[in-house]
Amino acid sequence: MIKTFEDLIAVNHISFRIKEGEIVGILGPNGAGKTTTIRLLTGVFELEQNSRVEIYSEDLTKAPKRLKKLFGIVPEISNAYSDYTVWQNLNFCGTIYGLSKAKIKERVDILLDRFELSDKKYAKTKTLSKGLKQRLNLCMALLHEPSILILDEPTSGLDPFSVTVVRNQIHKLRKEGKTILITTHNMQEAQQICDRILIMNRGNIIADETPDNLRKNFKPTSTLAFKMQDTLSYEQKEKLNSMFNLKEENNNLFRVISENPLEDISYLYDFLKKNNIQITDFKLLETTLEEVFIHLIKNDSKFTGDDVR
Amino acid sequence: MRSESLRNIWMLSKKNMSLYVKRGPVLIFGLMFPFFLVISWILGRTITINQIFIGIVAMTSFFTSTAISPVILPIETREKSLERLLSAPVSFNEILLGIIIASTLYSIIITSIISIIFILLFPTLIASPFSYIIIFIGISLMGVLGSLLGLLVSSKPTDMTSDIMVLMNLIKFPLLFIGGVFIPLSSLPSSIAILYFFSPLTFVTEMLRSSVAQTNLLSNEVSILFLIGWIALFLTLNYVLHRKTMPKRFSEAASGPKMKTVRKK
Repeated sequence: MIKTFEDLIAVNHISFRIKEGEIVGILGPNGAGKTTTIRLLTGVFELEQNSRVEIYSEDLTKAPKRLKKLFGIVPEISNAYSDYTVWQNLNFCGTIYGLSKAKIKERVDILLDRFELSDKKYAKTKTLSKGLKQRLNLCMALLHEPSILILDEPTSGLDPFSVTVVRNQIHKLRKEGKTILITTHNMQEAQQICDRILIMNRGNIIADETPDNLRKNFKPTSTLAFKMQDTLSYEQKEKLNSMFNLKEENNNLFRVISENPLEDISYLYDFLKKNNIQITDFKLLETTLEEVFIHLIKNDSKFTGDDVR
Repeated sequence: MRSESLRNIWMLSKKNMSLYVKRGPVLIFGLMFPFFLVISWILGRTITINQIFIGIVAMTSFFTSTAISPVILPIETREKSLERLLSAPVSFNEILLGIIIASTLYSIIITSIISIIFILLFPTLIASPFSYIIIFIGISLMGVLGSLLGLLVSSKPTDMTSDIMVLMNLIKFPLLFIGGVFIPLSSLPSSIAILYFFSPLTFVTEMLRSSVAQTNLLSNEVSILFLIGWIALFLTLNYVLHRKTMPKRFSEAASGPKMKTVRKK
């Protein structure tokens, strides 16, 4: 896919494939091209020349109406009609997706119950909180029982309770075998939910891996965190600093960024034993997806000469 | 046209009617504005009942038909519901037709009510039974034409209703003044009368004039042909311009100040 806006290339010749039942996350800084990619996939933007989207091996442009019925889309910001009630929004949505009146009624009751919205059925959408609106968006997306779900930052700006509700539902949908494409800024969420992660920067896909492989392949460092029983002397700190990339935090807590953790643990143990220093706590921290993400984006921007704060 | 398309268009029209009829800009520019304009035109002047009928019906039709269609796309762009529609199994043409039909029906209903009240109050006003048909055709064609004009103005890719309404008024008022509402086409010198052909309202007022006073310069057939011509022109312009500007409604968010993308050389 490629998408240009006058003199800007928002999506720059990207290509990826999602298997049925897979959960794929798109991560990227603001303006990376995530939402544009989703808009191209869902037919909001017309595909430019040499762009192609295939759903179950069928060209999206050949049968857009039939193929769009396979999608359920959950936007970041609620796009339900604010002057309509919850029921009116769902009824309109169901009719547009070609459901019969009886089917709409049946599905609405099931979904409102599932998303704990039954008591809001006749409430105007504009009176709902952001969390409730997002639950309504999920109901609207699932009403026609789509096989592919596209979620654009579904938990952004929600309170912790609503986040839990939305995440639990995503886990349930995964168990139901739905194919899910999700964009998010939340690395923990991506790590927990996704089978595969695409990292986008400046319209390009700069990584396409499982969360585990991303951590292993892209930033082979670990963090050793340890807490001393006593305060170290100036000389001892200097000595440690010369051996490791040491960062001191409060209450005698230190962190060492290590590229070879096993070797460093051995050196550290020798040093502590030789100096008769007791440690009260020790942890080997795995590389987080957030660190991988920042590393990748910085490297990509360094390569192209852009600043990344 | 397939039944699925017809169902979509009808659903979209119903949605547009139920959601936008009560919106502020529609009430102000569709109902209040023509009401006060008519009042200020009639008060203190000697105007025949025929002229009042032509003026009120033409202005109501013109203002109501251009009230809903310009506001729907800016509002739906702002509220993101347009994006939901475009990603749903609804075509771009169905979305536009849903707006045109809602706006046309709103205009026909309001103008018909006003016309019926007037005719009931002054039963001798209408020249012949055939005139009722001519009035209805005139009101209907003006409804379609006004809706298309409003939709055309809203092809500017903005989510600010006020931007569109300002532009709409800039276009509406000159068209109203050269539309034969205040001064009939037949009483003008030909050098000025030529200007009147640039306002679609002229042909509607001519049809109304033939129905009540029979002082029309143009025959009904000519007026209908001109109105159909204007409709064909506006329909084409709408299709071309909206197709061109629709992506720009969403591109602002995608290419905003935070964006750091590759620039084309």
